[in-house]
Amino acid sequence: MILDLLKKFTTLWVILFLLALFPIFTAAFDLPFWNDVVMRIMLLGMAAMGLNIVFGFGGMVSFGHAAFMGIGAYCAGISQYYGMDNGWYQLLISVITCGILGLVIGFLALRTSGIYFIMITLAFAQMLYFFFVSLEQFGGDDGLIMDRSDFIFIDLYEPLRLYYLIFLTLVFVSIVLMLLIRSRFGVILQAIKSNENRVEAMGLNPLKFKITGYVISAVICGVSGCLFASWQEFVSPDIMHWTRSGDLMIIIILGGLTYVAGPLVGAIVFLLLEELLPDLLHVVFPSIAENWMIIFGPLLIAVVLFGKGGLMGVVGNRFTRPAARKDQ
Amino acid sequence: MTATLLLEQVFNGLQAGITLFLIAAGLTLILGIMDFVFLAHGSQVMIGAYAASAVTIATNNFYLGILAAIPITFFCGYLLEWLIIRHLYRRDHMDQVLATFGLILFFNEVIRITFGPAALFSNFPPSLAGFIEILPDTPYPVFRILIILVGLVCAVAIHLFVSRTRVGAMVRAGASNPEMTAALGINIKILFRFIFAAGATFAGLAGMMIGPLTSVEPGMGEPLLILSLVVIIIGGIGSVRGAFIAAIIIGLVDTIGRVMLPMLFRTFMSGPTADTAGPALASMSVYILMAVVLVFKPTGLFPPKGA
Repeated sequence: MILDLLKKFTTLWVILFLLALFPIFTAAFDLPFWNDVVMRIMLLGMAAMGLNIVFGFGGMVSFGHAAFMGIGAYCAGISQYYGMDNGWYQLLISVITCGILGLVIGFLALRTSGIYFIMITLAFAQMLYFFFVSLEQFGGDDGLIMDRSDFIFIDLYEPLRLYYLIFLTLVFVSIVLMLLIRSRFGVILQAIKSNENRVEAMGLNPLKFKITGYVISAVICGVSGCLFASWQEFVSPDIMHWTRSGDLMIIIILGGLTYVAGPLVGAIVFLLLEELLPDLLHVVFPSIAENWMIIFGPLLIAVVLFGKGGLMGVVGNRFTRPAARKDQ
Repeated sequence: MTATLLLEQVFNGLQAGITLFLIAAGLTLILGIMDFVFLAHGSQVMIGAYAASAVTIATNNFYLGILAAIPITFFCGYLLEWLIIRHLYRRDHMDQVLATFGLILFFNEVIRITFGPAALFSNFPPSLAGFIEILPDTPYPVFRILIILVGLVCAVAIHLFVSRTRVGAMVRAGASNPEMTAALGINIKILFRFIFAAGATFAGLAGMMIGPLTSVEPGMGEPLLILSLVVIIIGGIGSVRGAFIAAIIIGLVDTIGRVMLPMLFRTFMSGPTADTAGPALASMSVYILMAVVLVFKPTGLFPPKGA
C-alpha cells in the first residue's frame, strides 16, 4: 500500500523530500532566515490541506477556516498562560476543542448551502474573532506574547527542532490525507461534490459525510494553528482575521484544488511571492516596492480566468498524456 | 439622561443602518440576480469616498465633490463589469471569491500608491456642521440627519424603481429566475451591467457621505462589506426590501450594543475590561443574529418570491 501511495502522489512525496533536506541547503549557504519562511509555508500549507478536504474534495466553500487556526493557537497560548507548557497536551487540547467546535459549527452551517454557506461560515469565524478581541485577560486586540511550547524530549529553542517538528506533523497530515482521499469516505465525499442527490439516492446520508469532513478539516487547521503559535511565539486575533481565511482559499486554488499536494504547492508559491515580489519590484519599480499586492491581485484574477485547475493542473496537464488526464 | 442618550444612539443606529442599506442594495441584486459573490463591493465604497474627498479638498467645495464622485463611481462599476466581472458569472463561487479578493488587493494598493497610506481628511461645509434639536434639549448633528434623509430618499427611489417600472420588473424577474428571464427575450447582459454600475454608485454614495464622519483610508470598505453581507443574508439574497429591514436592524443592534453593552458590563466588571469586552461583543452580536436567522430560516427573512 505504501508503494501504491508513493506511485500515486509523486508530487507530494517529492515536495516532502525537498522540505526534509531544505535545512541542509540553508546551512550550506548560511541562509537561516529561509528556514523561517519555509516553516511558515509548511504551517499554512498544512492548514490549507486541511481546508481542502471540505473545499476541494467536498465542494463546500468554507470562508471561515482561519478561525480554527486561531482556536488552535489560542489553545496553546491560553494553556501556557495558566502555566501548562507541555506542547503535546496543548496539541491534544487544540484537537479536542477544534473537533467539538467543528462539529457544532459544521452541524449548524451545513443546514445551508451555496452563498448562504459561504456567509454563515464567515459569520462564525467573525464571531470567534470578536470573541477573542473581547478577551482582555488574554491581551484582547493586542494579543498574547508566549514562549515556544515545551514538547518533551524536543527542545524547540534549537531552531532546527521546531522545523522538523512542523515537518513531521506535515508528513503525518499528508499521509492521513492520502489515505483519507482514497478511502470509502473520501470517494463518497467527492461523489457528494459532483452530485449530492445521486449519493442520497444510493441510500447514503450526505450530511453525515459532510460534517465528518468538516470536523477533520477543522482539526487539521487547529493543529496547524497550535504549532503556528509556537513558531510565532505570539497569539493574537489577527491569526483568525477573515483575510487569512481568504489567503487559505487563495493558496488552495493557486495550487490546484483537486490534488492532495495542491495546497502545499499553492503555499510555496503564495509565500514565496510574498517574500520575493517586493524585492523584485524594488529592482524594476523602486517607488512601488512596498505595494507588491498591486501585482499580486491581478495575478490572482489571471489565475482564475486562465489557469483552470491551479498550478498542479497547468503543470500536470503539460506532462501527462491526454488519456491519462481524466482520472486526476 | 439615559433616554436622551438612547434616542441619540437610535439615530446613530439609523444612520449606520441606512449607510449599510445603500451598500447592500446593489450587492443583494448582484448576489441574487447574477449569483455572483462580489467581495470587492467594499472597494466601491472606498472609491466613492476617495473621489469625493479628493475633489472636495481640491475645489474646497463639498457639493462639487459629491457631484463629481457620482459619475466616477458609476463609470468605475461599469468598467469593472465590462472588463472582468462579466467573464466570471459562469464560474463557480470559489473562483468568484478568489478573483474579487484579488480585486480588493488591487484597489487598495492603487489607492495607497495614489493617495498614500495615511487617511484623507475632508470637512463637510460649515452649513452642515450645526446641530438641530430633534427633541427639546436633544441636539443632533445636521450632517447625520442629512445622511438619513438622503438614504431614505434613495431607498424609496429604489423601491419605486424596482416595484413600479418596467426595468424594475425585469430586475425582479431576474432575481427569481434568471434563465427564464433571459428566455423571455430580455437582454440580461445589459441588465446585469446596469445593475452592477448602479449598485456601485449607491455603494460609492455611502462612502461619500460617511467620508467626513470616519477616516477615508485604504481598506476602509472591508468592514462595511462584511457587515453588508450580513445584512444581505439576513434579509434574503436578492430582496431589496429585506436588505432595508435587515440593514436597519443591524445598524441599530451594532450601534446600541456598542454603547449599552459596556455600560451593562461595567455593573459587574472593572471599567477597562468592560470597555474592551462591550464593543467586541456588540460586534459579535451581529453575527450571532445572522447565524440564528440562518439556522431557522436558511434562505433569510425575506427571500424573493419564486427563488
